[in-house]
Amino acid sequence: MLPYLEFANSIFSFRVGKANLKINSKGFFFGAIVKTFLRILGLGVIAVLLGVSGTCLAQRVVLRMIGPEDVNGAWAEIIKRFEARHPDVKIKYISGPWSTDDRQNMYLRSFLSGDPIEIVYMDVTWTAKFAARGWLLSLDPWFSPHEGSAFFPGALKAGYYQGYLYRLPLTVDVGVLYWRKDLVSRPPRTWRELEDTCRLHAHPPELYCLVFQGMQYEGLTCNFLEFLWAAGGQILDEKGQVAIASPEGLSALNFLRKLRLKNWVPKAVLSFQEQHTLEFFLKGRAIFMRNWPYALRLINQSPLRGKVGLAPLPSKTGAPTPGTLGGWGLGIARGTKAPEKAWAFIAFATSAEAQKILYLKRGWLPARKELFRDPTLLRENPALKDLYFLLERARPRPVHPQYPRISDTLQKHVSAVLAGVETPEEALKALSETLKFIIRGSRENYLRRLLLDYELKETLAHTLFFSAVSVSLEFLLGFLLALLLATPFPGRWWVRLAVLLPWALPTAVMAMSWQWMLNNPFGVINDLLLKAGLISHPVDWLASPEGAMWSAILADVWKTTPFVVIILLAGLYSIPRELKESLEVDGAGPLKRLFYLTLPLLLPFVRVALIFRLLQALGIFDLIWVLTRGGPADSTRTLGLYLYDLAFRYDEVGYALFLTVLFVFFLMVMSLLIVRLTTLEYERRS
Amino acid sequence: MKKIIFLLFGLIACAYCLFPFYWTVVTALKPPSKIFSLPLEYFPWPISLENLYRVWEKRPFGRYLMNSLVVSGGGTFLSLFLSSLLAFRLRYLPVSRALALQRWLLIASIIPPTLLVIPIFMAIKALGLVNHLLGLILSYTVLNLPFGVWLLYASFSKVPRELDEAALLDGFSRLGILFRLLLPLSRTGLAVAGILIFIFCWNEFLLALTLLQDQSHYTVPVGIALLSGASAYEIPWGEINAAVALTTLPVILLVALFQSSILEGLTAGALKG
Repeated sequence: MLPYLEFANSIFSFRVGKANLKINSKGFFFGAIVKTFLRILGLGVIAVLLGVSGTCLAQRVVLRMIGPEDVNGAWAEIIKRFEARHPDVKIKYISGPWSTDDRQNMYLRSFLSGDPIEIVYMDVTWTAKFAARGWLLSLDPWFSPHEGSAFFPGALKAGYYQGYLYRLPLTVDVGVLYWRKDLVSRPPRTWRELEDTCRLHAHPPELYCLVFQGMQYEGLTCNFLEFLWAAGGQILDEKGQVAIASPEGLSALNFLRKLRLKNWVPKAVLSFQEQHTLEFFLKGRAIFMRNWPYALRLINQSPLRGKVGLAPLPSKTGAPTPGTLGGWGLGIARGTKAPEKAWAFIAFATSAEAQKILYLKRGWLPARKELFRDPTLLRENPALKDLYFLLERARPRPVHPQYPRISDTLQKHVSAVLAGVETPEEALKALSETLKFIIRGSRENYLRRLLLDYELKETLAHTLFFSAVSVSLEFLLGFLLALLLATPFPGRWWVRLAVLLPWALPTAVMAMSWQWMLNNPFGVINDLLLKAGLISHPVDWLASPEGAMWSAILADVWKTTPFVVIILLAGLYSIPRELKESLEVDGAGPLKRLFYLTLPLLLPFVRVALIFRLLQALGIFDLIWVLTRGGPADSTRTLGLYLYDLAFRYDEVGYALFLTVLFVFFLMVMSLLIVRLTTLEYERRS
Repeated sequence: MKKIIFLLFGLIACAYCLFPFYWTVVTALKPPSKIFSLPLEYFPWPISLENLYRVWEKRPFGRYLMNSLVVSGGGTFLSLFLSSLLAFRLRYLPVSRALALQRWLLIASIIPPTLLVIPIFMAIKALGLVNHLLGLILSYTVLNLPFGVWLLYASFSKVPRELDEAALLDGFSRLGILFRLLLPLSRTGLAVAGILIFIFCWNEFLLALTLLQDQSHYTVPVGIALLSGASAYEIPWGEINAAVALTTLPVILLVALFQSSILEGLTAGALKG
């Protein structure tokens, strides 16, 4: 087996000037490429033909949409009723992942692929991005403006981009304050009143004052915006310029920090999404909770029934703060073959009839005002009246094509302030600078952007740290394991098998396993460390920046050490026994033999392993994407994830490709450098 | 004495390498109610097949497995076919030139797939094969081609050239030599290349995530990574672990059965991480 490895080595010592491609080989080579290409083309044509004939045979227009799992069959019911009235249309509901972000990425990839999913079932924040790229059809030809008054104004307004309507609202959501009627006499109107109540009634750790969604995800943006609006600030001004660096912005961040410092807000909010917040509140451990209206139904099924009221969020001055508007709507993708049919479906799905089904089966609040006056619904849920008041005042999040990046940036710095990693002043400055780059940067040329790109610098630093640490650890461990396996002992075959296994298992799948092992508090790693007495209480490994990075390194070392072992083992086998013996005869000890015989002869193998491992580590994606998705606070985001985000989330394919080319070039130079540095004098001569 | 120390180290290495897998199996075999309970049980008894049943019956896991099989099988077959053609042609070039050509192939193939995903996506999009298993098969073929060529060229060169000439005299066609002489003679090399390429395809995640949108097209790794519970907030860890165990089992069997040939192939290739 060794000749191939030597060959592998020789490959890295090539010289470009040698003009290896002669005409003969070239002709053959390109001939093969052309043939392959033609074959691929043929297959493509066949596939397209099959697809076309499939649709022709069906004779019905098929329209697809992606949504979360259809619990209780609400969508099935709506689709059934619609298809009964339009027998020529078939609606295919694709059950996507629960994460809003993942579903957005699915739509995005379908638009990029040129085969758009016809009906766009979209969150309130997607409109601007999709519309700005021209991926949506304007609904204005069909929608008459006077119908608009039937919807909540904010919800309808969120569907407009630059004067055209792209999205019709289906359901609405708004941030509200839940308060314990049995503990306090009335909900706070101002921040001062909130502080007073906290001081009087809260006694942590049994009873905290306020809980909200503080994890680094879209929910934190919604929560923070409410604090910002309560202080009178805003992210972007009317002209679309960044306006967060203001006294109002600072006081919002200061107030958040104060709530946390005084321990009125539990530390755990940093890992809270909606459900965790609600669970905490239902256990009676907080006086106030910021959440969406869906929580009401669950509160009414719990022991807290009748003890909880709804109120607008408090503000700095006393004027009721608008809650963040959420909710879902429908649009039509550009390139849809039968837009009229798609419109017919949208018109039906946003009708009062369909919205009522969604409300009754799923509890999603309708975007049509009339349903809030529906006597049957009101009898079942009298709180609809309060919600109506709040929904009319709900405020949409900033409308900007780059909204996802704006939101990512907000989350990162707000969560850093909550965690105490950044002071409010620092966070505000970083926030303002990054947002300015995002909003201005997309107009600059690539080279200028490269210099301004703050995220690139960060991800590059993470990538280099990750690669350096994990590759060194792998070599250390791999060398020891290889030495072990090169010596015969009983059961060696089995040990070799065990060592080889992690390499062969699917990375993405095993990353899921690691995530489970690192779980808090049910993870086995916490349990083992507790038993060994190394930690005193369970650690939330994936929630802190350092913990997440080291977890990723740990998993990567586990996964890829076998590769190093395999290569080094082959190297050890290649060292002739006689050499070792003759050195022994000459009186060289084990250490001397290691440094003067084993290591130099192993060098070519180390070189191969090093280049492969470094390239793989620098380009890491699967493991980190599944384990942490780059979080928390982007602390494990590597270059691979950034490029992927740029291309498939932020839709900056051109810039992503530019970075890719630069990176490939860098990797090539690095590989050649490694070859140079690890080639010894005598090797070069031979 | 020395042997015992080595054995001890060997056991530690085994425990370190196998523990994550062991823990997955243990979790998969716990009844769902015990998964979220403390203290943790390291040897669950009685075992329960509830999680396996759920992932099989209530989720489209069978579908994911089928997709993975189709994609990995198709990718392996196509890359073996094409790379045997290429390796066959390289056989008739002077050795130095053949090696030089493979050098270029290798350089193309060590670029991490993360950097290739955008260009591949664009190419597959141009072919109209996004969200189609065929698109994934073609990309896997392309990605594994250099590796296949390399292994097959090496194992072809173990067959003496004189045999080819004799076959030619016996009236074999060129392709006849490849399919009726060379490939049967280098069965081992073919098998090793096939197994390794199959494992690479089976494990691939990034391209499958990018190229497939429809849940009914997901391969196993994508399906597991995006497996979610009945609400956005609860993660069904029991079912995930059951799925992980089921996915890794075939790989473990393959590796156990062909350990030494895989080691050899990898060392020859030294190609994938």
